[in-house]
Amino acid sequence: MAEPSLVFTDVNERQGMFTRRVFLMGGFVAFGMFALTGRLAHLQILQGSKYSKLAAANQFNFRLIPPPRGNIYDRNGKLIAGNRPSFRVMIETNEVKNIDDTLDEVSYVLPQTLSSRRRILRDINQNQRSVPTVIASDLSWEDFSHVSLYANDIPGVVADMDEVRAYYYGGAFSHVVGYVSKISQKDLTDETGVSQTDFNLLHHPSFRIGKQGIEKAFDRDLRGTPGGRKVEVDSRGKVVADDEEGNIAPVPGKDVVLTLDADIQSRAVEVFGQESGSAVMMDVRTGEVLCMTSSPGFDPNLFVSGISSKAYKLLADYDHIPLLDKALSSTFPPGSTFKTMVALAALENGYDPNTIHVCNRHWPWGGRVWGCDDAHGALNLHQAIVTSCDIYFYQCALSVGPDKIAAMARKFGLGDIFDIGIAGQKAGIVPDSAWKKKYFAKRNPANTKWFPGETPSMGIGQGYTNLNPLQLCVMVARLANGRKALTPQLVKSVGGVDRVVKEFPDLPADPAHIDFVRAAMADVVTSGTAARTGKLDLGPIMMAGKTGTAQAYDYKGGRGAHGAVGDWKLRDHAWFVAFAPADAPRFAMSVLVQHGGFGAASAAPKAREIMRLALLKDPETQKRIVSINPADLVDKPLPADTSTDGIPPNGNPDVVPSPAATGHKSV
Amino acid sequence: MVDSALSRPGQRERYDSKLAQIDWVFVGLLATLTGIGILLLYSVGGMKWEPWAFKQLVTFCACMAFMLLLALVDLRVWLMGAYWFYGASLLLLVAVEAVGDVRMGAQRWLSVGGFGFQPSEFMKLAIVLALARFYHECSAKDANWSWKLLFPAAMIGVPAVLVMHQPDLGTAVLISLTGLAVMILAGLNWKVIAAGAAAAAVAIPLAFEFVLHEYQRQRILTFLNPEEDPSGSGYHILQSKIAMGSGGLLGKGLGLGSQSQLNFLPEKHTDFIMAAVCEELGFAGGFMIFLLYGAIILMALRMASLSHSHFGRLAAAGATATFALYVLINGAMVMGLFPVVGVPMPLVSYGGSAMLMVMTGFGLVLGVKVHRYQELPRQASIFQRFE
Repeated sequence: MAEPSLVFTDVNERQGMFTRRVFLMGGFVAFGMFALTGRLAHLQILQGSKYSKLAAANQFNFRLIPPPRGNIYDRNGKLIAGNRPSFRVMIETNEVKNIDDTLDEVSYVLPQTLSSRRRILRDINQNQRSVPTVIASDLSWEDFSHVSLYANDIPGVVADMDEVRAYYYGGAFSHVVGYVSKISQKDLTDETGVSQTDFNLLHHPSFRIGKQGIEKAFDRDLRGTPGGRKVEVDSRGKVVADDEEGNIAPVPGKDVVLTLDADIQSRAVEVFGQESGSAVMMDVRTGEVLCMTSSPGFDPNLFVSGISSKAYKLLADYDHIPLLDKALSSTFPPGSTFKTMVALAALENGYDPNTIHVCNRHWPWGGRVWGCDDAHGALNLHQAIVTSCDIYFYQCALSVGPDKIAAMARKFGLGDIFDIGIAGQKAGIVPDSAWKKKYFAKRNPANTKWFPGETPSMGIGQGYTNLNPLQLCVMVARLANGRKALTPQLVKSVGGVDRVVKEFPDLPADPAHIDFVRAAMADVVTSGTAARTGKLDLGPIMMAGKTGTAQAYDYKGGRGAHGAVGDWKLRDHAWFVAFAPADAPRFAMSVLVQHGGFGAASAAPKAREIMRLALLKDPETQKRIVSINPADLVDKPLPADTSTDGIPPNGNPDVVPSPAATGHKSV
Repeated sequence: MVDSALSRPGQRERYDSKLAQIDWVFVGLLATLTGIGILLLYSVGGMKWEPWAFKQLVTFCACMAFMLLLALVDLRVWLMGAYWFYGASLLLLVAVEAVGDVRMGAQRWLSVGGFGFQPSEFMKLAIVLALARFYHECSAKDANWSWKLLFPAAMIGVPAVLVMHQPDLGTAVLISLTGLAVMILAGLNWKVIAAGAAAAAVAIPLAFEFVLHEYQRQRILTFLNPEEDPSGSGYHILQSKIAMGSGGLLGKGLGLGSQSQLNFLPEKHTDFIMAAVCEELGFAGGFMIFLLYGAIILMALRMASLSHSHFGRLAAAGATATFALYVLINGAMVMGLFPVVGVPMPLVSYGGSAMLMVMTGFGLVLGVKVHRYQELPRQASIFQRFE
């Protein structure tokens, strides 16, 4: 387009300048466009695959599917802890505009949520916004169907089914199996090396962590591996669509099979009633723990969905201390049950079992008078065990010395902590001069020497001696086995993998000496302190045992008054350790009745009840009971003779009646 | 039709000949570009005409009619109105300071009868017109370097500072750069430009430290290192890059872009619509769009250079410069080459007022082409009437 020439040179100059500059500007814009296109190619073609992955990571998400927790079975496959379905209603905090309005709407359908409004609001505040909060769980079918009907009209409210831990024996296994509960901040900080998946599982609202016993010890095994539901989400995390083909199935937790027998355990709990104490039973061949109770117990189901503070306070404030595992986490003076160890230590160290000491009820020694329950007269070692004479054992212990007694006691598992998987065991004290030196080095340097006057107390299981019921059960089990130093086995298998230890080290004691002690224990039941309360009434099957009555210390440190009456907290602890059958031991057990009074009156009858059931369940023993053919009795000696086989030739069956038995005829 | 300077007197003033002078290819390119934009709005709206696509279509039709109408307006009217328009816009900016609405933390809006508008939008065109008129009356020598350049400097500086104070960094930068573009086109001395660039290089870090608001500083820091805080302020840039990158060569298809459909892409219908375009239509689509923009800008510059009047040249080129700056800044922004400054992609992004100003600018450009033979007096009163 030819333009007419212009009049002013100035005008031409301006036009020329503009034309040049507008060319430059066009070039600049073209360059800019070229650069943008280049950048576009860089993003879309060179880095396309990288960003495609990032886009997919945005678009798809895995919603955690919590794995079912592993079951816990007893030795016979009875389900102790499992999972049961629970209908629940949840609120998805993300989806809700006004939480109060939504909860109001829910309360029209579920009036019970009104009263728990404060808890719900607290939970909502504690949870992450992306995590739904449970409003109500364990709904009845009627409530659930009602809610399901209306939930669609209340945005952000979801009704679904969840799995909840269930303890089918209630409080029978409350201490040994433990319980699961909501995860606490402390649990979270204790978890080390958690992967992202673990982290998500730990923060899942229906996740429960093992808090005590087996549930805690094997928590990682029982937990399982969570699965994932592949979903398409928008930027707010709201699920837009499901992608079922991409789902990952959860791996259920491993099942744990215990060596415990639910029947025996339940029987032990029943026998104790509301009395405080513990019963532990072991198989003397395998070391398997058949029963381990602590009474009174509590219902672990209460803890699964969160125990109310009122109920918890009742448990925590009760002076029988139901929350404490008395079988493992509490120690008591063993009393006369310890005399078995004193006797064995004496025999191992060359003590003549025919040494005679005379009991006049009083024994002046070391500037004071030592007492006994009764005037037992002249006794040898066997008779002293059978009658549980304190004056004999004061002198016996003095002649052996504390260090040798302690060494023997330790060989029989006293003062040990056993690897049964459960944490919180207390070792207690088996005192000797080395222990005393170490123990008092800082506390009271003037008292680091072992005084001779402390040995007689130790000889009757008092003084510093403090042990837990499991240790005493191990002691009897080793005595009853006689050859091997058994250790208690609590877990049979985890996830189908056997965990029971089969090989045990030899017991470093002369079998003849062990036999001597066992024979004396058999006589305790036939004619000794437990003669009235320890008979099994199972034909030829007899129990062997040792009673114990130990002066109590209050938990707050006050010294107890000797006796079975008066303030409960100051009464004596009653012990009975036993094994049966006396002639061919199968089961060993220890029974502690805290502040129960006399061992023979309080603990022995309980041991009898529990032992009876164990024996009746054992096919071998059962065969022995029923195989007595009346015809055989005609021309053969009574099978009762077998029970006296263990008594050495010098044994005197006509011993003085035990003081415990005479003092408490009414029991 | 007649497009020669030798046509009969009065012929050019007839509306039918003016209509014939309108560059219809250019108009077609604008419609094509906006059409692609409306298609994308339909897609990111969940394959629905509501809430954006239909409104955008209606706005575009109205703006198109307005643009064609403006193209017929005598250039002398623009010249006379230039300072008035500028003065009015400046008053409105001051009014915003006094009585403006605060929306999203910035005082940018004036409400008249329930209608909200941003006076800073008017200023983008007003600054072009006012500067064009100033240079129209100015000699080449003075435009090169003289004390008279203080006037255009103030004409740019005052509104820029006012807009900056709202605070609206994006628009302030846009107004300043547009004004600067007109000054350069008018013949500003290269040495001055170079010195100014050097001064800016020194001043920008200082301004960053002392003048910018916290959120503006944060945006620039985020731009420099978006991966540092991917869920916070780096989110926009990162998600935009993911959207574009995952589109690949041919795109995911209309309505199938996961980033834009599932709302990972923020502002998907306004400032970040180019990311949605590139995700769903791929590199092919993005390339097409930039090609269209390039063609539109170069054609507009060509139309500007045809004018016989200095005012016409500068006004048309200045309006085009605003448009080009929009495109370049938004393009660089969504690709992570420039901080997030809230500049829409003209014609493609959803939004009525931006569309109106862009189409008004193109109405001026088309008008300059239609009236390219018109001679304008060097000195004219701002009250002068034309027959």
